[in-house]
Amino acid sequence: MNGQLLQLLISLGEVAAMAGLCAVLFGWRDAAMPDAGACLARDIPGFRPGRIAMSGDAKSALIENASDGAIYLAVMRGGDVVTRRLSRDVRVSREGERLTFDLRDFTLKRTQLDLADAAEWETRLKGSA
Amino acid sequence: MMPFDPVTMATPAFVVLVIAEMLFVRFTGRGRFEAKDTAASLAMGLGSVVVGALFAFIFIGFARLIQPYALFHIGWSWGAAAACFVLDDLRYYLWHRASHRVRWLWADHVNHHSSQHYNLSTALRQPWGGFLALPGLLFIAPLILLGFPLTMIAFVHGLNLVYQFWIHTESIGRFPRWIEAAMNTPSHHRVHHATNARYLDANYAGVFIVWDRMFGTFVEETQEDAPRYGIVGQIASFNPLRIALHGWVSLGSDLIRARNAREFAGYLLAPPGWSPDGSRDTSDSIKARWADFPAAQTPAE
Repeated sequence: MNGQLLQLLISLGEVAAMAGLCAVLFGWRDAAMPDAGACLARDIPGFRPGRIAMSGDAKSALIENASDGAIYLAVMRGGDVVTRRLSRDVRVSREGERLTFDLRDFTLKRTQLDLADAAEWETRLKGSA
Repeated sequence: MMPFDPVTMATPAFVVLVIAEMLFVRFTGRGRFEAKDTAASLAMGLGSVVVGALFAFIFIGFARLIQPYALFHIGWSWGAAAACFVLDDLRYYLWHRASHRVRWLWADHVNHHSSQHYNLSTALRQPWGGFLALPGLLFIAPLILLGFPLTMIAFVHGLNLVYQFWIHTESIGRFPRWIEAAMNTPSHHRVHHATNARYLDANYAGVFIVWDRMFGTFVEETQEDAPRYGIVGQIASFNPLRIALHGWVSLGSDLIRARNAREFAGYLLAPPGWSPDGSRDTSDSIKARWADFPAAQTPAE
């Protein structure tokens, strides 16, 4: 048992060392948001980027599909973009210029965006399908 | 008696090759790494070994239960091991295909596909919930019932896993045509991990790509549509525990919401994305929409 525990600890050390080397070689910070509209257009047949609102930290954005009016949330995770179509069951609240989304999503529960036109987006989101 | 455990023997090579690929990618730009993603994949790999050891008794118990009904008693020989290897690879193809088409199995297998990166560390991103994906056991039953020794089945299964490690890379382009025709290669497996509509539900092979060619699931990688990796609804976490559980949590919440037996069975056994009202996307509906949009079939980049 002690031998197995020791083996597990050594393996954990190896994982940490390899992750550390990867961080040294490639960095650890999240990248800034690339063209999220283009990302969605690649993944969703028929998607046409409409209005886009980038959060102040450039790590998240709201993007409208000009084809059907649907609104998508895009967030950066590492160097990649993760998107979600926002539907009625998304809880959205606003405090000044800060919009907060509470999603029923195990890996993306809460996201906050700082937008100059937060009030307008809040109104649209609460009325959108 | 199993000659040796191929996965245990190969683990030091896995470590060396992941580090070698990191350095290769850093200095050539051929491929992509991300530290948080790699850390999550490596942790998933270690966790799967621990969980697999803890729940190995389920597989052993199942095997011992059906072994008395074996048709033959095949002894250890390299010829038998070779036959077992080929049959196990067919078993892998069938199990793998089911794992993409049956939500119960996908809830576990989705973890292996949850990275937006495709490098050797992705090969180690293995699920933790195999003991919950019980129908998966059925795929191993024919080999046991044919009479292959359990240690031989475990041995060839290990070899199969070791083979599949090195094909998780963007650092290797394509091999000569005769190799690409018969074997699973990095090119074929990039297609399998891609989320591009044209590549969904393709190339399930483990070692021999001939199974996909035989059963009509083969898709060639094209330069015009470079693979983008991950899953249709990309996950937004690098936390290994969240990664390991997200498929099960999603399935569980749907099962709880099911209003009748038909919906329950649909959520459990229909392809991922199935919903009673058809409001969600399945790979079939995505491919159908993609086929309707010619512009989407020839990306500008």
